[in-house]
Amino acid sequence: MSVPDYMQCAEDHQTLLVVVQPVGIVSEENFFKIYKRISSVSQISVRDSQRVLYIRYRHHYPPENNEWGDFQTHRKVVGLITITDCFSAKDWPQTFEKFHVQKEIYGSTLYDSRLFVFGLQGEIAEQPRTDVAFYPNYEDCQTVEKRIEDFIESLFIVLESKRLDRATDKSGDKIPLLCVPFEKKDFVGLDTDSRHYKKRCQGRMRKHVGDLCLQAGMLQDSLVHYHMSVELLRSVNDFLWLGAALEGLCSASVIYHYPGGTGGETGARRFQGSSLPAEAANRHRPGAQEVLIDPGALTTNGINPDTSAEIGRAKNCLSPEDIIDKYKEAISYYSKYKNAGVIELEACVKAVRVLAIQKRSMEASEFLQNAVYINLRQLSEEEKIQRYSILSELYELIGFHRKSAFFKRVAAMQCVAPSIAEPGWRACYKLLLETLPGYSLSLDPKDFSKGTHRGWAAVQMRLLHELVYASRRMGNPALSVRHLSFLLQTMLDFLSDQEKKDVTQSLENYTCKCPGTMELLTLPGGPTLPPVPFTKLPIVSSGLGAWQPCVWRMSLLLCGCANSFLDFQWVQGDVCEVQLMVYNPMPFELRVENMGLLTSGVEFESLPAALSLPAESGLYPVTLVGVPQTTGTITVNGYHTTVFGVFSDCLLDNLPGVKTSGSTVEVIPALPRLQISTSLPRSAHSLQPSSGDETSTNVSVQLYNGETQQLVIKLENIGMEPLEKLEVTSKILTTKEKLYGDFLSWNLEETLAQFPLQPGKVATFVVNIKVKLDFSCQENLLQDLSDDGISVSGFPLCSPFRQVVRPRVESKPVNPPEGSKPGDPSHVKTLEAILNFKYSGGPGHVEGYYRNLSLGLHVEAEPSVFFTRVSTLPATSTRQCHLLLDVFNSTEHELTVSARGNEELILHAGECQR
Amino acid sequence: MAVCVAVIAKENYPLYIRSIPTENELKFHYMVHTSLDVVDEKISAMGKALVDQRELYLGLLYPTEDYKVYGYVTNSKVKFVMVVDSSNTALRDNEIRSMFRKLHNSYTDVMCNPFYNPGDRIHSRAFDSMVTSMMIQVC
Repeated sequence: MSVPDYMQCAEDHQTLLVVVQPVGIVSEENFFKIYKRISSVSQISVRDSQRVLYIRYRHHYPPENNEWGDFQTHRKVVGLITITDCFSAKDWPQTFEKFHVQKEIYGSTLYDSRLFVFGLQGEIAEQPRTDVAFYPNYEDCQTVEKRIEDFIESLFIVLESKRLDRATDKSGDKIPLLCVPFEKKDFVGLDTDSRHYKKRCQGRMRKHVGDLCLQAGMLQDSLVHYHMSVELLRSVNDFLWLGAALEGLCSASVIYHYPGGTGGETGARRFQGSSLPAEAANRHRPGAQEVLIDPGALTTNGINPDTSAEIGRAKNCLSPEDIIDKYKEAISYYSKYKNAGVIELEACVKAVRVLAIQKRSMEASEFLQNAVYINLRQLSEEEKIQRYSILSELYELIGFHRKSAFFKRVAAMQCVAPSIAEPGWRACYKLLLETLPGYSLSLDPKDFSKGTHRGWAAVQMRLLHELVYASRRMGNPALSVRHLSFLLQTMLDFLSDQEKKDVTQSLENYTCKCPGTMELLTLPGGPTLPPVPFTKLPIVSSGLGAWQPCVWRMSLLLCGCANSFLDFQWVQGDVCEVQLMVYNPMPFELRVENMGLLTSGVEFESLPAALSLPAESGLYPVTLVGVPQTTGTITVNGYHTTVFGVFSDCLLDNLPGVKTSGSTVEVIPALPRLQISTSLPRSAHSLQPSSGDETSTNVSVQLYNGETQQLVIKLENIGMEPLEKLEVTSKILTTKEKLYGDFLSWNLEETLAQFPLQPGKVATFVVNIKVKLDFSCQENLLQDLSDDGISVSGFPLCSPFRQVVRPRVESKPVNPPEGSKPGDPSHVKTLEAILNFKYSGGPGHVEGYYRNLSLGLHVEAEPSVFFTRVSTLPATSTRQCHLLLDVFNSTEHELTVSARGNEELILHAGECQR
Repeated sequence: MAVCVAVIAKENYPLYIRSIPTENELKFHYMVHTSLDVVDEKISAMGKALVDQRELYLGLLYPTEDYKVYGYVTNSKVKFVMVVDSSNTALRDNEIRSMFRKLHNSYTDVMCNPFYNPGDRIHSRAFDSMVTSMMIQVC
């Protein structure tokens, strides 16, 4: 007994084992078709009694397991059905011979056998034979089920006769000692006459009869026999068989308590056919009565007559709690025998199934824990996988999902153990996928985008790594890319720097072969695997946006757009910009390629950008550009990137760092575009911050007070539409200065005469700048003069004061020229103005849209003359005095100072005159 | 004496996990993770008992070949799991119990920190050193 059957459950104790096997060459398809039909006959009500027979079909059964048939009769192959192809009468004898050979294998235990021959017609086929049935082909065989029923009935007859035979053995006859294969040599030379030996024989036989009763559908009887057997065997310390008797007792009780079955699917199927539990209990009664009729059989058998009193009482049946106790006991007895490992293991499995029904997970886990430690002989790899998978299944059954996942993972790893010549990566991958729920890991990144990640990161990461590796070995790089990007995406916070490097490195390697996409990946169902309902499960990323850019968090600022979205419009055919702030959390430089906008609403041509972000960069603005091709309302709802060769679409909705869920802009029809260039140099400094309007360019000029300069503005139409209309307005920003005359003046007519301006054409526009400012109050001298309140007030009235004043004034004459060097900031006044060009044309003009262009004008005005000294001289009359002014020309040009008195004074550059 | 100490949130994700042989951390992660099954089971079984009489200490969750896993659950369903070397027979149930109580007190201190966000990973240095002291006490 070496091959454990992990699917066993307690109900199997009441079944008859029938092996169905093909002989010769029978196609698998045909065989399983027939096998399916045969196994549909899994229970038979035996005529004229209300007993029900259950049949267990196997198409493969190791003969060495058959040798344990005496130990537990449900392990015994009692029926054999062979299926064969035979097309000519000539082959018939040979086929028949093969059937006999097959029979030999299980010969010792077989009650009966059948041969189903397909294809043979003619003389031989017409001979009526009980053990052979002929069918012309695999379709035309309606009587198969009937045949099977007959066959089972014949099995039942044998079983019944055996049961009665054993149950009524005369005490005088020597009861043979039943034993399991490994015991045989232990009993050589044992005194067969001792009471001990006899009791042992009786006990074992009792148990055997119990088995037979159970199989024959006489539950109550079997319980009685098991009870007796337990007592007998306990007295002789025959532990192995005691264990078996206890297990039989448990099985019978389980069958009584849980008619629905404990084995899951098979149990359910059985239940469909069987009647209600109450009825099931009744059904067994007749069998019990049968024993009652023949009480002599019991007593003559040398069994304590007292036990017969218990016959028919439900008390014989164990309570649910007792079942578990007895299972425990049985298992502890089994564990004394190394060779009974399989029996012990199976008993554990059965007990777990019962406990699962009783919802006693804790105890079940103890049984399973025990099962884990049962050491069978060296298992083949396949058996190991099977064992781990079944452990996982059982853990799942009792609700231990994590443990289940753990064992499933172990099974998966076993599939690809280095000792296996052909690693089953597919199977491994499939098993690994099944473990995902156990580790509360879903492959949908959406589940991770909300808030911080919570889970067993280390364990989950390991699992993802394994998935990646398995899918790679499976030869499905698309899958591994997907898993790897998922790993990177969701576990970024938990990866160490080195791991980040490694992961990205391998991701890049994979994507060389297979670029990551946004498509749904469908899992391939392995062709040799049994169909699993969710093989078509979409594993990752449903189309758009489930994919956050794996490598950076976006903290997005749709600069200018995000805040005031509807304040401006985009123009069809023009390049539009959206600014994003990005940062790179990776410890190395990140190359982002093909970064562009995702929009909806309007046909939009996105112009992808490539950028390279330095390691651990701070916020880094990125401008994404694109051209709307049609008009309407456009919604910017995301962007796409290619990082490490993985293409991803990211919707703003799914980004945790972004509040807006897309921004809407109106796209208006095409408008012309103007580019202006001026005769003046561009200025670096922008206008005062409070200016409010945004200007495209600034120009600056330095002028002396009173100077006039022409500003030639070239207007070039660089757009695609003709420029039809132009309006110019100006706005002077500096208002605190007193300004005389027109600061800016222009003649628009000349320019307008050149309109409409076709694309590519240039028009000129002249603006005169005239600076005429009041610098008077600024001069120190005058301030000095006026500082002295007394002198100023007294100045025009009485001359004596003049004397007082003068030294004061004269004390500082040198200072002003020094302190007020030309260009000294204190003397420079700034004038700022904005020229607004409002223009339109093309389709946009029709709809009434204009484009604004502003030119900032920065004028620095300097005074052209300084009065360096002021003094008074008494004039001829006391009522008057001469005011002497030292005038300094700070310009590089000659200038004429004219006063009211028509006096003219010519000052040369840098000259100072009185 | 403890080789691994873990604090697990109500929603069964780790708040804190540390093990002494750091090279095989993953093994302990697996061990603690699977032990949660048993914890869940024990809690659901306890659910019927009166809340105030509930014993916080869950006892031995399961033994493995080399280790024993013990559990403890607070009233707010935060779980403490401790893995102990099974060769260390000197360790009695009572000692484990007191270790858990110490852990619980320390955890409460962490919780009292106004700057700690319940549900975040525990980075408290005081807690860390307490765990360290529990780990090296004997071994």
